[in-house]
Amino acid sequence: MQTGVNTPHAVPEVVVETRNLTKIYRDFWGRQKVRALKALDLTIYKGEIFGLLGPNGSGKTTTMKLLLGLLFPTEGQAIVLGKDATDVSKNERIGYLPEETYLYRFLTGEETLDFFGRLFNMPAAVRRQRTAELLELVGLTGARRRQVREYSKGMARRLGLAQALINDPDLILLDEPTTGLDPIGTRAMKDLILRLKDQGKTIIMCSHLLADVQDVCDRIGILYQGELKELGRVDALLKVRDVTEIRFSGGDGALVDDVKQVIERRNGKIHFIGNPTTTLEELFLQIIRESEAHPGRRVRGGISGDGR
Amino acid sequence: MVVENPLPPFLIWFAGALAIWLGVVAAVSLVGFFLGWLAVALERGPREAVARNWQMICQAFQDFVRYISGSRISGLAYLAIKESIRRRVIAVFVVFLVLLMFAGWHIDPASREPAVLYLNFVLSATTYLMLLLALFIASFSLPTDIRNRTIHTVVTKPVRASEILLGRLSGFALVATVILIGMAIVSFFFVTLGLNHRHTLTAENLQSVTEGGGETGTLTGLTSSVFGHRHRVYVDVGGQGRVEVARGHYHSLRVVGSGPDARYEIGPPEGFLLARVPIYGKLEFRDRDGLDADKGLNVGDEWTYRGYIQGASPAALIWTFEGMSPRRFPEGLPLELTLGVFRTHKGNIEKPVLGSLAVRNPRTGLYVETEIFESREFAEVPEIKRLFVPRKIVNPPSVQIIQRKKNTPEGIVLSPPPEEVRPELTQKREFDLYEDLVDNGRLEVWIRCIEPGQYFGAAQPDLYIRARDGSFVINLLKACYGIWLVTIIVLAYGITASTFLSAPVAMVATIGVLVGGLFRDFVIKLALGQTYGGGPFESLYRLVTQENVMSELEPGLGTLLLKMADVIARGFLFAVASILPPLGQFGWANWVAHGFDIPWEHVLIRTLQTFAFAIPVIVAGYFFFKSREIAE
Ligand SMILES: Nc1ncnc2c1ncn2[C@@H]1O[C@H](COP(=O)(O)OP(=O)(O)O)[C@@H](O)[C@H]1O
Ligand SMILES: [Mg+2]
Repeated sequence: MQTGVNTPHAVPEVVVETRNLTKIYRDFWGRQKVRALKALDLTIYKGEIFGLLGPNGSGKTTTMKLLLGLLFPTEGQAIVLGKDATDVSKNERIGYLPEETYLYRFLTGEETLDFFGRLFNMPAAVRRQRTAELLELVGLTGARRRQVREYSKGMARRLGLAQALINDPDLILLDEPTTGLDPIGTRAMKDLILRLKDQGKTIIMCSHLLADVQDVCDRIGILYQGELKELGRVDALLKVRDVTEIRFSGGDGALVDDVKQVIERRNGKIHFIGNPTTTLEELFLQIIRESEAHPGRRVRGGISGDGR
Repeated sequence: MVVENPLPPFLIWFAGALAIWLGVVAAVSLVGFFLGWLAVALERGPREAVARNWQMICQAFQDFVRYISGSRISGLAYLAIKESIRRRVIAVFVVFLVLLMFAGWHIDPASREPAVLYLNFVLSATTYLMLLLALFIASFSLPTDIRNRTIHTVVTKPVRASEILLGRLSGFALVATVILIGMAIVSFFFVTLGLNHRHTLTAENLQSVTEGGGETGTLTGLTSSVFGHRHRVYVDVGGQGRVEVARGHYHSLRVVGSGPDARYEIGPPEGFLLARVPIYGKLEFRDRDGLDADKGLNVGDEWTYRGYIQGASPAALIWTFEGMSPRRFPEGLPLELTLGVFRTHKGNIEKPVLGSLAVRNPRTGLYVETEIFESREFAEVPEIKRLFVPRKIVNPPSVQIIQRKKNTPEGIVLSPPPEEVRPELTQKREFDLYEDLVDNGRLEVWIRCIEPGQYFGAAQPDLYIRARDGSFVINLLKACYGIWLVTIIVLAYGITASTFLSAPVAMVATIGVLVGGLFRDFVIKLALGQTYGGGPFESLYRLVTQENVMSELEPGLGTLLLKMADVIARGFLFAVASILPPLGQFGWANWVAHGFDIPWEHVLIRTLQTFAFAIPVIVAGYFFFKSREIAE
């Protein structure tokens, strides 16, 4: 059995449960338009990071909205934190970052957080403190007095994240959390997600970016055209059981030949030998790290060497 | 001022209104429950539908009573205020100022009733602009949030639908209040400045008043003409000046110095802006045979507001007042009278018609005429005439015992009956209002027309005791409060419409409610079949075929179907009318413009009516909003 909890002895607490959850979008006349989600059965446990993966239009956002009560299921039911998904009171313990940042453009960053804090009935002093903390966390302290209309997409996204955390939620739903963020922001977002997990929170995120999901999720479900195609632990799903990878450094061509011979002698089949490439994300982050360590260094090449 | 449908006393109104309200709310709830059930039943079966609807009702109760949070509502109200500022609602105020500027050029301060013109204008402008504002902000707010999906971030917080609606309502109400207060202040100064004028008076304008060949020492004369009128001025020997009323106002006069060097300083106009507190009596008519009649004559007007009595006959207009006591009116009764005059022989139209004012003891029948007055009712707008019945009536023009005659099934009944008539009562030359003429607090005031061939007409509110004057500023504030109440009603309807309609459609729907509300009385008449030419379908048929509205339609299947369709249409109209707010009755502009104090009782009734409409409408909005898929 796959559980997302670190305490194997206790029965894990169920946070979200869907049964036969189905959504058909209809047009004004009630005619069927799109079957966006087909009979989803899903159980998500306390403390895990669950990733919904799938191409655009596969029903990820629809699932999220059903869990939040923004949509009503055509069939089936979703139970969230022990309550029906349409029950407003469950929202006390939920944080939600929508797919795009839907914030009031005429409020400032600070006013936005204060407003959402009020919706949780938080006392003024708590609101002030929480607002300051969260703005610091998402790096918007400097922009707190500016209206959201002036924010860049990434800034708005970070403010969206801050508002999702205003109530210190137990369950956090993130719809494409990394879209609109630069690689540093993406990394920070992933780190934050992992930190939230360490605080014992349950996170459901959806994404079409495989790397994001791979890096942070404990379990994933793969949706395709509204159907759940795969469900399981990330490490288990990705383990290629019949291939072994060796990485070493400090050897020369002769050592590589020796190794090759050993494998062939033992009837192993070699798929690839060469220098590994890093991911672009890692390269980018490394360059940023190095530039911060040695400010002023630039790449000098034929193209950028125009003297300016 | 014309009061066509006087309100009944509060408790009587309340009992009736409460019963109707409960009935309508129950009926609408039942229909709503049924429709809600039907919608769910089509998808999920009848039993599930009952369960779900019941659950929704319980939830609604909790969302309005148990979980509702002032903090959340104030947060949402704050958002609504911010939104209004972003939508630049302050522009309404600018439009108001521009309107006043134009009006300032066009309103003629030399007209007969400039105060009425000014006040009517500012209050109408305020009303229309406030309604426009309410319509706009209420119907665009939610749909914009839904379209921008900002609502997604809000409803995924523990916010109740009830709070979303009430938060908006209170936020917008606050914005409306601020703008309204601004408009009221500007209106007040606009009216005062617009009416302001100064006359001048110099020693050359004054002449001595002569009486019986000798000089009295009193000076009199006319002021300079400003805004098309002059005032007659009297200055007595002691140098005390008095300015006569003209065009509904007067001025203060200060005399500096004496003799030929005297200077006369005339102050700003006073008495334009009034809030009279009238005490009304009950009007009865006496016809030319001296018999009591419940209606006056109809002189062929289409408007049957005033009943008429014939001149130079026993006919009279009789108002009975209750609760008269020396404590209330120690000096006597200050009366104000508005008369309609109908002339059978036109002759000199400017020549006044004579009338008499008398008081009568309802028990003894003692009838004491106190005054003969002139009525110059040649203008379209009858002018208010001031009369006074003094406490001590000395040497009255006429004293008699008059018996009232009532036509009953048992024959003519006299009051007082012949055996109780005491002619000796008429022997005095001096009468005390309370000792001789008031009986148990009751007093009759009679108005008669003296001239043959002329008629006086009046309605009950045309004669009243002007007990005292309230504060004009408070009266203006009351009228603004009335506008505020209508604004709240429009906001409530607009917000509710916008929970299930797109912004422009919600706006049109709310305009529909507004117009329907203004013509609600007509819609009800139409629904009850009190109009000529049948119901909507029949009248349409008559319109198309150009059939006369009075003639009967030919019997036959067609006519039968037409009438049946009308019965259904009428039922529908009645249902619609009963959920329309009676906005036509909310306008208090006339009261303020004509200088009548708006009774607190009316203020209370309109306030209750506002709640009676706004609360159920918001609750309905709650159900619309709850049953809507926000993300669709
Ligand atoms: N409001 C809507 N009305 C009709 N169809 C919709 C609506 N929202 C989403 N869809 C359709 O439902 C499917 C799933 O959409 P969505 O859940 O947004 O996908 P994802 O988030 O995985 O990209 C898509 O085919 C999309 O076109
Ligand atoms: Mg999506």
